[in-house]
Amino acid sequence: MKALLLVGLAWLCALAAEAMAQVPTEPPVAPRGAPTGGLLPAPPLAGQGVPAEPSARPDESGRPTLIMDLSSAGVSITSAFQGESLLVFGMFDPPGEIVVVVEGPPGRETVMRKERVLGLWLTTGRQVFEDVPSYYYLAASQPLQRLLAGRAGGEILSLEDRLSIIRPARLAPPPRLAEFRGGLVEVKRQEGLYPANIGQVTIQGGRLFRADLPFPSRLPEGIYSVRAYLLREGRIAATVSRPLAVAKVGFNAELASWSRQDGAFYGLGAIAMALLVGWFGGAVMRRL
Amino acid sequence: MEIYLPIAEQSINIFVLLALGGAAGLLAGMFGVGGGFLATPLLIFAGIPPAVAVASQANQVIANSVSSLQVQWRRGNVDLRMGLILLAGGMVGSSAGVSLFTWLKRIGQIDFTIAVLYVVMLSAIGLLMLVESSRTWFRRRRNPEAPRGKLHTHYMVHRLPFKMRFYKSKLYISALLPLGLGFVIGMLSAILGVGGGFVLVPAMIYLLGMPTSVVIGTSNFQILFVAANVTFLQAATNRTVDVVLALLLILGGVVGAPIGARLAARLPGVALRGLMGLLVLAVAAELLTDLLRTPASPFSLGTREVLP
Repeated sequence: MKALLLVGLAWLCALAAEAMAQVPTEPPVAPRGAPTGGLLPAPPLAGQGVPAEPSARPDESGRPTLIMDLSSAGVSITSAFQGESLLVFGMFDPPGEIVVVVEGPPGRETVMRKERVLGLWLTTGRQVFEDVPSYYYLAASQPLQRLLAGRAGGEILSLEDRLSIIRPARLAPPPRLAEFRGGLVEVKRQEGLYPANIGQVTIQGGRLFRADLPFPSRLPEGIYSVRAYLLREGRIAATVSRPLAVAKVGFNAELASWSRQDGAFYGLGAIAMALLVGWFGGAVMRRL
Repeated sequence: MEIYLPIAEQSINIFVLLALGGAAGLLAGMFGVGGGFLATPLLIFAGIPPAVAVASQANQVIANSVSSLQVQWRRGNVDLRMGLILLAGGMVGSSAGVSLFTWLKRIGQIDFTIAVLYVVMLSAIGLLMLVESSRTWFRRRRNPEAPRGKLHTHYMVHRLPFKMRFYKSKLYISALLPLGLGFVIGMLSAILGVGGGFVLVPAMIYLLGMPTSVVIGTSNFQILFVAANVTFLQAATNRTVDVVLALLLILGGVVGAPIGARLAARLPGVALRGLMGLLVLAVAAELLTDLLRTPASPFSLGTREVLP
């Protein structure tokens, strides 16, 4: 009995300690099958040992240099996580403009619409979309319309363009699809997962660029991709990309994966926790 | 101070959760019923997904009822026979309830169902309590030495077959009655994340005719095991039990319950029941306005699925 109590107390302490810690103590764990190259601790300066992307180096064909790095190798979701802002920075061969695109892993989303039925608001319609990016953010050094007017528009997609190519799970009339797609954007925007504003890429000295990436607290886990494009006269002159792991760490990660992998055992643990705290807590409080 | 909830996947103020748990515990201490019917809607108002709120609340109910059962058991206030029959119904009801919950969640009607069930049930219970307590209040004022009535009245339901003797409750009634009652409470527990004490306790007093002394202990006995069953099934099938959320609610409740019990000892019972009735009606009204009010956005998203 005493041992059980001790375990319970240790667990409480671990939880409290983690909630106090403002800074993640360990690097995020790379999910299985993730490309590990991009997850190594980021070098302090861009340009040395940055993830090997063929187009990142000036090659024989004379493509311009474009190098990029992130202020952190990943986003760690700890007990104190409240969203995070990451810095993306890099260097390029002038002239040109820079566009940064961040995209979360694709997933299946169900959009539901409520309507008033007999005075009550009731879910009356639902539409499933496949391959919806969990997060989508664009930042550019110039107003996007101008940059994408040229041929680059086919490859760099604004949020509207990106969502116009998500697949509905079942065919439906286009006006209906457009309506639910609009609803999807509305909800995701509210959660901060599809930021409404195009971010600003700041260029310094004509060859250094930087931009802030805002990540909200309700951030789905997975491998995100961060891509930078160097545009010259409306064409993509160079591109570089690297993965960004968003993962729960420490106590949170253990609980979440425990729940996912063995829900029944997790349930038993939850019951044991409630019994222990209820029993001893009640007994202690009655003494006071 | 914000804390990130690993299953709800969002951060929320830690003190909001502790206060919610405390309020639920206060009610539990004052009225002998869990505060789940209040805590679950408030968790949903706070932005916790209804599926997670309901499942984690069931986890909290375990702690609440074990703590109360501890005392009641020692005082011999548990009618074990009645409790076991209630429990048999409760196990079937809660298992069916979790399946229904899973299905409603899939077709996107779970939020609506939760809200409508709460409105209907809370309005009925709140009105009953209010009427009952005001009637007692006026009767007592008119005639303080009112003659005691019969031990309990007989309704049609008492003519059902399979009669059983419940010595502790001084009852000779059909076993189908507690069995059916247990089933309904188990169903409520699974879908609404409540222990169901606020329905179970009046039903045991007015419908079964049990003496009030054994009602709290016996209901807690049933609630404890049904809540454990709901927690287990929700965790195993829907993966919606957030232990961090539950733990914070429990810690608040552990502190709130004795304070509630001490308050209840000082306040008159009739006024307390009237107060409770008003509170229940207020929660129902708030939920109803939520159903009637035009939402900020008609759209919402279901659970996101990531394909391997």
